[in-house]
Amino acid sequence: MLPDHLSTTYAALADPTRRAILARLAAGEATVGELAEPFAMSLPAVSKHLKVLERAGLIARGRKAQWRPCRLEAGPLKDAAQWLEHYRRFWDDSFDRLDEYLGELQRGERKDGDNS
Amino acid sequence: MAITADAAALSAERELVITRIFDAPRRLVSKMWTEPEHLVRWWGPRGVTTISARMDVRPGGIWSRSMRAPDGSVIRKHGVYREIVAPERLVLTYVTDDLAGNPGPETLVTVTFADLCGKTRLTLHQAGFASVLAREAHHAGWTSCLERFAEHLSANAA
Repeated sequence: MLPDHLSTTYAALADPTRRAILARLAAGEATVGELAEPFAMSLPAVSKHLKVLERAGLIARGRKAQWRPCRLEAGPLKDAAQWLEHYRRFWDDSFDRLDEYLGELQRGERKDGDNS
Repeated sequence: MAITADAAALSAERELVITRIFDAPRRLVSKMWTEPEHLVRWWGPRGVTTISARMDVRPGGIWSRSMRAPDGSVIRKHGVYREIVAPERLVLTYVTDDLAGNPGPETLVTVTFADLCGKTRLTLHQAGFASVLAREAHHAGWTSCLERFAEHLSANAA
């Protein structure tokens, strides 16, 4: 229901630099150098962030040793959205029942044995 | 019966906001959340049975609930009450465990009850780590990132 990789996704997203990197990658793939440019940050520091994003499955990197372009991966972000959708349905269904139950309470007609 | 202005919205900030109007006084609607004998009558989708409910309704108090789904699997949800201002407002943390018993991401649920001349407008706000995203959305261009991402998904859907 709530696989652990969601925690990894959210943890990876909890950093403003990493979110900015994802925002940049949403525009298309980029190299580490290109990604480092807007930040006052060394290449190794950016590489560290990229590793976290890669472990979370949020980005994928090309195989060429020197020029390893990064690109956005779709799956985990979609899971994060589905997780909220799961809760939305849960509350909607519950509130339908609450509405009915409040009606019963106020009419004073509690149906015994109807406790599903 | 339902005077429902049921506006469920998954906002761009990835927070859940659900608003519903109930044809019952605020005091009664608010009580449905804090008294176990009432809560088990409506909490959870139809077909799901609450098999245990523990509620220590005070700030810092723990709640936990086990529910059996129609397929027989048992789902456990739990959290801590943060704020109880009856009959206006209730704040609690909310975690759903996965089927193996590992806790899922912690979310914060805020329920507010507004009096509308005898009816009650309930607003439920649920946010988690996602709210951290929301706060810094504008600095990081996160919203536009998600928009582009959605376009990217639909472009690659085929």
